[in-house]
Amino acid sequence: MNKLANSIGLIHNNPFKRQLNLIRHRITSPQFVISVLLLVVLGYLVLMPLYGLAERTLVWKDSDLRISKEIEPGTITLFHWKNIFSGRIARSFFYKPLLNTLLTGTIAALIAMLLGSFLAWLVTRTDLPGRNWLKTLLTLPYIIPSFAIALAWETLFRSPKIGGQPGFFQVIFNVPPPEWLSYGPVPIIITMAVHYFPFALLLVSGALATIDTQLEEGAEILGASRWTILRKITFPVVAPAVIAAFVLTFGRTIGNFALQFLLGLPVHYHTLATMLYMSLKMGFEPIAYVLGIILIVITSLVVYGSNRYLGKNLRRYETVGGKGFKGEPARLGPWRWPVFSMVGTVAFITAIFPLMLLAYQTLMLVKGRFDLGNLTLHFWIGASDPDIVSGEPGVLQNPIILSAAWNSIRLAVLSSIISTILGLIVAYLIVRNHKSVTATLLDQISFLPFLFPAIAFGAMYLSLFATRQGPIPALYGTFALLVIISVVKRLPYAVRTGTSAITQIGVELEEAAQIEGASWLQRIRMVVMPLATSGIVSGFMVTFVGMMRELSLIILLITPQTAVLMTLGFRYAEDGWVQLSNALVLLVTLITIIGELIVWRLGKSRLSRLREKQMAGKKE
Amino acid sequence: MGVTIDVKNLTKKYGKVTALDRVNLTIQPGEFLVLLGPSGCGKTTLLRCIAGLETPDEGEISIDDQVVFSAERGISVPSGKRRVGMVFQSYALWPHMAVYENVGFGLRLRKIPPKDVRRQVDKVLEDLSMAGLGNRYPSELSGGQQQRVAVARLLASKPPVFLMDEPLSNLDARLRLDMRSELKRLHYQLEVTTVYVTHDQTEAMTMATRVVVMEGGRIRQIDAPQEIYRKPANIFIAEFVGMPRINTFPAKIFMQNGTCWAEMDGIKIPLPWIPAQKEVRAAIRPEDITISVNPLENSPEFQVYAVLPCGPEIYVQVKRGNRIIMIRETRQLDLQMDQPVWLKIDPAAVNLYDIQSGLLLISENGKTAEQPTKGGNK
Repeated sequence: MNKLANSIGLIHNNPFKRQLNLIRHRITSPQFVISVLLLVVLGYLVLMPLYGLAERTLVWKDSDLRISKEIEPGTITLFHWKNIFSGRIARSFFYKPLLNTLLTGTIAALIAMLLGSFLAWLVTRTDLPGRNWLKTLLTLPYIIPSFAIALAWETLFRSPKIGGQPGFFQVIFNVPPPEWLSYGPVPIIITMAVHYFPFALLLVSGALATIDTQLEEGAEILGASRWTILRKITFPVVAPAVIAAFVLTFGRTIGNFALQFLLGLPVHYHTLATMLYMSLKMGFEPIAYVLGIILIVITSLVVYGSNRYLGKNLRRYETVGGKGFKGEPARLGPWRWPVFSMVGTVAFITAIFPLMLLAYQTLMLVKGRFDLGNLTLHFWIGASDPDIVSGEPGVLQNPIILSAAWNSIRLAVLSSIISTILGLIVAYLIVRNHKSVTATLLDQISFLPFLFPAIAFGAMYLSLFATRQGPIPALYGTFALLVIISVVKRLPYAVRTGTSAITQIGVELEEAAQIEGASWLQRIRMVVMPLATSGIVSGFMVTFVGMMRELSLIILLITPQTAVLMTLGFRYAEDGWVQLSNALVLLVTLITIIGELIVWRLGKSRLSRLREKQMAGKKE
Repeated sequence: MGVTIDVKNLTKKYGKVTALDRVNLTIQPGEFLVLLGPSGCGKTTLLRCIAGLETPDEGEISIDDQVVFSAERGISVPSGKRRVGMVFQSYALWPHMAVYENVGFGLRLRKIPPKDVRRQVDKVLEDLSMAGLGNRYPSELSGGQQQRVAVARLLASKPPVFLMDEPLSNLDARLRLDMRSELKRLHYQLEVTTVYVTHDQTEAMTMATRVVVMEGGRIRQIDAPQEIYRKPANIFIAEFVGMPRINTFPAKIFMQNGTCWAEMDGIKIPLPWIPAQKEVRAAIRPEDITISVNPLENSPEFQVYAVLPCGPEIYVQVKRGNRIIMIRETRQLDLQMDQPVWLKIDPAAVNLYDIQSGLLLISENGKTAEQPTKGGNK
């Protein structure tokens, strides 16, 4: 019977039917079904908000009737775009903020790049004393929320001319600090540079650590001087990483809202990010959304440009950890201790001093009075007192703050778990089915949120979920919406972590299980998940820490019930209750530093376990 | 115990590359079939198609008369249901599971009670002299032990088909020799149909009951190891099989005194039959040539180019003009560099190949072989 069927099959070889069979096999496989489901869900969560944002700027709405009585809601218009580019408000709402964004971003990124690269060289390639712990210390400013650094700056340079109490500067020197030092572009640039230089340091020291020292030794044998080697060999090899540090830092400054808001607003110095926020607050939704789209376009151009010009080079230097540099470190000779004290000072000023300032500020009953009698623990443990900050109790017994802390942790834990698992699944589908259409689409769609500056992404979700959308209820004001936006925004990172975890797991480990009769789900559960765990746990912690200090992403979506520590701290800062605000930021910083330490420990143990696995996997 | 595996018209393409090109093959019950060929010849793809790890584009595969794959009829039985076991080149041991868990994985999936799993795993480990290593993790085992665990995992599920993808290539030379005899012994005891992939022709020769030589996605010859060695179906196989490499010469065929002669580089050999071609390519194994230190009638003078003694035998290279010929001598000859020597070739061991097609021209009884031997006709 079988034979007969075979021979008939061979004679009537029908290519169409064969193709149909192949397609049927593919689309009924669980991987395909999950891929399509994810594409639909992610497509909705990533593309719909973008569409909603664009639509709001191009179509008249009922709420626009106050602009003019003559408009017809529902018709298409370019009014908002024309208004931004050439209208009466163009200068103050668009051109000036755009210029400010580009100016502060470029200079801050430049300083961060130079400082970070130089320090990277010192801590990886020289005999600087204590370079390992100096490096750890120097990464601290990046872990501290940028908002905290801005608060510290304000504590130091607050000027009564703008209003309020004096800062430390005035108390010490007895003259008010010049206004340009208190608020505006200079403090924005400096604080952003302080916040971002560790990023450049990490990137460049990664590249420096993976340089083959034989390249340099080869030049040395040929008689090149150390300066020549540095100039002709070392720098060209790490140049892509240095440029990448600049480009990526610039990209990040664009979306940094809170810092720019805190240090710019008092003197009406606006950037695109703060303008977006202000527009929404003032009820100019279409303007805010146009600015959001412009922010996305700028970021996309930056990312596209850097990918295009750095492409392969960048990937080559993206090894974190690397092979470890074994050659002779450059000798600083008599400069060893002077350089040490210089680097130590930088580390102190950027990492420790801001935290000390914040801590001290929380102990002052009245801002700006520095006598000992003014010291108090009221803002930490005090009960409600109607004379102080409108009766807000101290941090540790304030029900609003405690509920915000609970929200912060809940949000960070939930979104880290979901985004890590989702990232792992997407990474699996991308790695194991690479070249397939669904995998390519998944890859691209999960990368898109990377291009949306946090504040613009928040605006997108605000525009989409403020009202009911088909079967999906109005999610604005719910905790679920915060989780969703956090998960989606973190997805590009989670997918990357997942990809490296999955790539470590050889396909044949799964195939061996397949042969033994394990279904796809069993393979995922019994082989992939256990082996990926060590890789994704650190990814989970990174997301957790990132979400704890997240502000720009959710500030537009927060309601009093869903407030988290960072948004509450921001509100208090807006209200001028600096002590409370500082206390909250310190709490967040403490939690994130603990988190980072855990990540760091995990990363170490993960490396050793990986090595073990590689030994088990390959026997040459 | 063994089952038949039938492969019909199997084609597999990766984009524009054809990995398998209309492959037909019948594997007999209890056979130890070795797929041999250079890398990229399609041998691993064929094995993986049988295992169900790759989906072919065309053709049909049946195991024990059950169709497990048919492109035409849209049948594709998942690997786990094909009752095959596999040893991977990298062993593919799960690093997060102890030896017990690795070996008992398939049994546990089949919901066999833990007690029985334990008993069966213990038995298999004992048979492979691995008793007592059950609680170790793969990273705590030596390469040879890992290899045994991979074999144990294959045995534990008692599949009627063994598939092995270069299982010994990651072992060092000595261990590889030991494992060869163990695998051979295992096959002798269990008589399970075995398909074994290797690029190592010595391994193929020593292990196989039949060898399938593949090249460019096609089967070029299916035969017993000795046949493959003595009568390679084409010049490619002749050169691929055998260490040191076979000598090949352009040869002229002519009649003289009623005998048919082949002449290559001045050496004349009487042929036991008369080929139709006037010009052919002759292939002679190094052991079918003997060295004479005295002049011979049908041989010109050669110079010793290099003498390479290796224990029981000596490899000698001799030179004339630009041609270097490799000879394998079992006699303990005392040869000096550049010493004049003469060569004698065993006429019965000479294979002649068509210059255009590269196909073998003669067979033992003098018939012209035009096609490579087809599979399944043994």
